[in-house]
Amino acid sequence: MNKLTLVTTLGLTLLFAAGCANKSVVRYGDATAVETTDINFGSTDLQKVAAQMTDSLLLSPVVGTLTQNTRPVMFVERLKNKTSEHIDTESITDSISTKLLRSGKFRFVDMGRVDAAREQLNFQHDGGMVDPNTASQFGRQIGAQYMLYGNLSSIVKSNQDKTDVYYKFTLRLMDLESGLVEWADESEIRKTKVKESVGW
Amino acid sequence: MFKFLTKRIVVTFIITTLSGCASFQFADIFQGYQSQMKPVKAVQRQGEFVKAQNLLGERAQSHNSYVLNLLERGRLQFLASDWQASQKSFAQAYIEIEEQRNKAKIQLSKGLENLTAVVSNDNATSYQVPYYEQGMLHSYQALNYLFQDDLAGALVEVRRANLVQENALKAYKNEIYQAHNKLQNSGMSTNSLHSSYPSMLSAIGKVKNGFQNAFTFYLSGILYEASGELNDAYIDYKRAIEIYPENPYLQQDILRLATKLGMQDDLVSFQQRFGKYQARESKGQGQVVVLVELDIVNSKQDISLNLPVGRSNSGLKFFSFSLPVYDGALAQHRKISFKNAGHSYWSHEIVRIQSLAAKDLQDQLPELLTRQVLRVVAKEQMRQKLSREVGDVGNILASIYNIASEKADTRSWSTLPDQIDIVRMDLPAGKQVLKVQLNGQQKIIEVDVQPNRITLINFSAIGSYTGYQAINL
Repeated sequence: MNKLTLVTTLGLTLLFAAGCANKSVVRYGDATAVETTDINFGSTDLQKVAAQMTDSLLLSPVVGTLTQNTRPVMFVERLKNKTSEHIDTESITDSISTKLLRSGKFRFVDMGRVDAAREQLNFQHDGGMVDPNTASQFGRQIGAQYMLYGNLSSIVKSNQDKTDVYYKFTLRLMDLESGLVEWADESEIRKTKVKESVGW
Repeated sequence: MFKFLTKRIVVTFIITTLSGCASFQFADIFQGYQSQMKPVKAVQRQGEFVKAQNLLGERAQSHNSYVLNLLERGRLQFLASDWQASQKSFAQAYIEIEEQRNKAKIQLSKGLENLTAVVSNDNATSYQVPYYEQGMLHSYQALNYLFQDDLAGALVEVRRANLVQENALKAYKNEIYQAHNKLQNSGMSTNSLHSSYPSMLSAIGKVKNGFQNAFTFYLSGILYEASGELNDAYIDYKRAIEIYPENPYLQQDILRLATKLGMQDDLVSFQQRFGKYQARESKGQGQVVVLVELDIVNSKQDISLNLPVGRSNSGLKFFSFSLPVYDGALAQHRKISFKNAGHSYWSHEIVRIQSLAAKDLQDQLPELLTRQVLRVVAKEQMRQKLSREVGDVGNILASIYNIASEKADTRSWSTLPDQIDIVRMDLPAGKQVLKVQLNGQQKIIEVDVQPNRITLINFSAIGSYTGYQAINL
């Protein structure tokens, strides 16, 4: 009988100990694989909206005529995050501008690096270390003709059984001189999470 | 022999459950949270927030009050102007809350916890963050983002705070109805509870529910206004004024925005309620909004009651219960005046957190009591069994354990302010000085007012401590 007690005690202790312990494993995975760790905005959503938007922009007939003989200069204004999540919107615009640059149809100026560029030019001219003949000149940068801007908004609904998230990503291309919006598109994502009924 | 064996297994089981996955310190069973927090709050009243953090101590992630510990820590770090650390604590707390919310409908670990709670008390269950605390979490997190110059991040947080309130509103009626039903089934009537439990009515005041927080709405209104989204700001001011219709600053904000946005129908009805609105000349002026945090919210107290429980087989029997309660009436806070250039601006209440907490507790009571009935009956059965099998010693030991372990769950976010007031004024641009009269002493607030922009000041008056933080939005 005493043995039985011992076995039961040991069994129970093991059970609880096993419940707490977990092993960690490191693996490489596919960067473009579908990720569904949780319902929040994730890498798959980012890739999806970026790919859809660039495809739509590059295939649009209006942009086709704009880029027929020239490579227009664009700048990316920030993406406004109107969701209830802390999303790195710069990462989305980075993906989009990289894809557009890769297509060879557009050129970009980077507003986020103006200060760094100015600092470098100042150093070239006033630092006394750079040959003035090779120094890049002030006032020779090319002005952007088009502005890319957009919104990311979301609607979140949840009840005891499930959570539903809807994202809408709107992107627009504006001709800076005329103020006309030359192109716009939106991309939608819906995700639903159903709660499991029994779990630890 | 068999009986001996069962007893052993039971004892082993109790010990393993007590020290199972969701760990908690044994002190938590016998010493209430409210008495653990006493020294922390005393130090907080003196303005020594770093020392208070040390006194608070750290809890392991598996600890059942881990979230609560993060909330307290985040609040103290916020007061110590350590925005980054505070942001980290609150973010972690949010992750924990979300995880809890997304868990399966039937949780096996919950069952284990409840089992532990049956042999000890409610302090063994993992802490459920009430809606009003979640709202305050996001509000302070928004301020954390603001003080780190991230308006977009702050806006995300106020949107989260609004989501919390929306979800609360949806869940509210259903939850209360179900809790009352369960209590009836457990053999206890709500009437006997009401006759002996303190009503807390004076603490609850005029609050209609335990989650609608005008401060959160007002903060989000200001942030939306600062980011130029006047329509969103207007909606939040409207929600806030439904809760505090008598607040003159809110009235002015509503009238101002209704005029600006051309909401004709609204404007007519609001002018009927709050009087005519005359748009003021605002050229070269900036707006200054002061959030005034007053004192610290009370902790829950432990109260013992004798209540009858009706079981079908043994008739009505009285049992001793330990329940949490907010004792006493609301402390009255004087309005605070901010003087600038011979003009006094008086602060007006925007939220009474003490009332929200008391109302929330009142709503939780039926559920609390249902668990309590189960526990008290189970403990009584254990005592009877022990007294029959081990004799007097068993009886005495069991009685002592029952009395010592019968502690109310007094956990709640106890470093929050008791009340928050607002002041809003138009001041000429440039360096301005606000003079505050407090506890017979004069405090000086220096702000740099920008034309046509909002300057937000978070002013805390806690015990003998006063401090402020200003930012241009």
